[in-house]
Amino acid sequence: MFKGFEVSSNEQAFTLETLKSGIRFDGRKLEEMRDIDIRLGDEYGYVEVRLGNTKAIVRISAQLAVPFEDRPYEGIFQISTEISPMAGPMFEAGRQSIDEVLISRLVEKAVRRSGALDLESLCIIAGSRCWAVRADVHFLDYDGNFIDATCLAVMVGLSHFKKPDIAINGEEIVLFSTDQRDPVPLSVLHIPLCVTFAFYNPNDVEENIKGSSSGELILVDPTMKEEAQSLGSMTLTLNKNREICQISKAGGLPIDAPVIMDCCSIAYSIVERLTEKIKQLLKDDEAKRIDINVQRALSAANDR
Amino acid sequence: MSRFEIYSPEGLRVDGRRWNEIRRFECRINSHPTSSDGSSYVEQGNTKVLCLVQGPMEPALRSQSSTAQGSLIVNVSVTPFATVERNKRPRNDRRIQELSATLTRTFNKAIVLKNYPRSLIQVNLQVLALDGGLLAACTNATTLALMDAGISMYDYISSVTAGIFDGQTPLLDLNTIEENELGFLTVGVIGESEKLALLLMEDRVGMDSLEKVLAIAIAGSHRIRELMDIQVRNYGKHKVAKLANQ
Amino acid sequence: MSGTLIIPGDTIELGTESGETSIGPGITTNPKDQSIVYPSTAGLLKSISKRNKTIAYIEHNTKRYIPTIHDYVVGVVITVFGDGYRVSLANYSQPVVLSALGFPNATKKNRPHLKVGDVVYAIVSLVDRDVEVEIECIDPVTGKEGGFGQLNGGTLFDVKLAYARYLLFNSNAEILEAIVNKCQFEIAIGSNGKIWINTENVKTTVAAMNAIVESQQWKKEEIVKNVNKIFKDVL
Repeated sequence: MFKGFEVSSNEQAFTLETLKSGIRFDGRKLEEMRDIDIRLGDEYGYVEVRLGNTKAIVRISAQLAVPFEDRPYEGIFQISTEISPMAGPMFEAGRQSIDEVLISRLVEKAVRRSGALDLESLCIIAGSRCWAVRADVHFLDYDGNFIDATCLAVMVGLSHFKKPDIAINGEEIVLFSTDQRDPVPLSVLHIPLCVTFAFYNPNDVEENIKGSSSGELILVDPTMKEEAQSLGSMTLTLNKNREICQISKAGGLPIDAPVIMDCCSIAYSIVERLTEKIKQLLKDDEAKRIDINVQRALSAANDR
Repeated sequence: MSRFEIYSPEGLRVDGRRWNEIRRFECRINSHPTSSDGSSYVEQGNTKVLCLVQGPMEPALRSQSSTAQGSLIVNVSVTPFATVERNKRPRNDRRIQELSATLTRTFNKAIVLKNYPRSLIQVNLQVLALDGGLLAACTNATTLALMDAGISMYDYISSVTAGIFDGQTPLLDLNTIEENELGFLTVGVIGESEKLALLLMEDRVGMDSLEKVLAIAIAGSHRIRELMDIQVRNYGKHKVAKLANQ
Repeated sequence: MSGTLIIPGDTIELGTESGETSIGPGITTNPKDQSIVYPSTAGLLKSISKRNKTIAYIEHNTKRYIPTIHDYVVGVVITVFGDGYRVSLANYSQPVVLSALGFPNATKKNRPHLKVGDVVYAIVSLVDRDVEVEIECIDPVTGKEGGFGQLNGGTLFDVKLAYARYLLFNSNAEILEAIVNKCQFEIAIGSNGKIWINTENVKTTVAAMNAIVESQQWKKEEIVKNVNKIFKDVL
């Protein structure tokens, strides 16, 4: 992934030194996330997320479709995560590198496999009509940790999005525009959020694998520079109901099982705080919209 | 509700095992002595995996040659007759790509790659039958085949899956039916330690039961390591005996 | 950084009262009439006067580094081959060549042994469109080491190219003066936007590094105050 991004051994040694004394370049603590800035668009389902200098946007959309044959009672939910060179010079256009495959697989597992979106509620007429919800993720700027930003953006987008209301008239489906009837939100069952950890080994390889001490250094939410220097990473996906939706530690530095349990509790406290933040944000947005709608209604009456 | 009783009140699973029993585990080392530098065959229940290792050899491409350490390539192919539905899988199936990337990254740390500068080690895995625990079986087969090829490794990596039923009972070594119903994880454990080279989990598992599932998975992996070790040592003894005869 | 803002398409007048004026980067001449000059990049028009000679150039801030002869650069060794090294001067661009003989007193038998990942401070010695760019670790004036060579310890970071040039040519730049008051440090600034820094301990290095990176956005008056704050936060 970091083809063309050269890291000198001076930097490697220096990073280990700083991590050993518990500091990071950007002044964060080891188990601290970067500042997250979430912006909601004017339209439902448009979300812009900034995680430090990493930036991604998500657009949720829904349209009527025919359900899959083997799942007649379920709607369709797709996440498209294509990383274009827009995100950084290391991403090639067209060809998907293995890292990109891993990123999209991970987001898919975190959101889709964990059942964050109630697919059965997307069914309109069993076997013939359903909603197809799409989340299009666009990566705008890369400074490490796409996964956490993407997962967050998709989940905020799904909670924010509203699909047009419908009525079923026999075999016919009537779609109402937003002026006719208020759009209805999707049924989001829980909000899984990812927290990525990067691993570093201050000792030699033999000590890590054969030694009894677990001296590995762990930090949360690596930047690109930190990612390029790490020896492996692990992404935990949790929701605030204390459920783990996904763990992905695909190889990399071997880590003691108890250390992973510790990571879980670190991740949980982060997820708890983030979920609160998302809820507040959506509430504020909703309040603002109602305000505008009320004003519009009043001004219309005055015009007449 | 599922059509199957995953765990009966009497404590039996769909295939009659108890919660802490692994499936029948059989393995063979050096199964293809002529066609490869190292080979193995692993059966975990009905999952059957064949692994062939080529190398260390000179890489065909300059980009695969590094002066600092050897490079490792893992290819996985699932035969069309591996599952009940005989559909041909596309070559660039993302799940298979993910699987081979996971294996590559795991064994990158387990092989002493610095001993093999400017060399390529190629691992080819053939999945003959698939009934749950694919990653686990591939990991075990790769470990054995690499050993057969005489490639330096730090230790065994043994792997097994474990899931949780009803948020209560951890179940060890799942088959396909169980995998589809339960939240489960795959661990790859290094030797007799509790260090995890690999940990993948899908579907929901309560945070508080993770420890239970992990504990049984690690214990299961240690059992698999023992079974592999017996096989490797037997093979070694057999070879030594042959030498003594000469 | 004073100077008039110039955009391609503008007309520029070069003062001719002080005799000859040479043109530097960012300015081109009309091939038919050498007295007509055009700006070719957006930036600030600047001139330096030296011994009856004026050099006019446009100071611009690009992101990609293009090697120019006699530039001081900081690079990372990425490949070692038979008689030299390949050195990366900037991420995502072509590496340049550092010959094993490009060190003071180096001979075929006696030459430095650099490894992949080592950092060097060097000078661009050859730029030609037909061959690879070369750098060397010899001071071209004295033929001696002159501060070039391998850099040990410390760390590397990136700043904008214009800022790196500013720091390189103004050794008494406010930010450097402000850091001098805080800690002792060694620094190597490359025109390629890479800066190597080393101080007595890790914390002061992180502070000095952050101070330089962030000072790109500071006003002159804020420098001392902000540097004090950064050092206080880290220590």
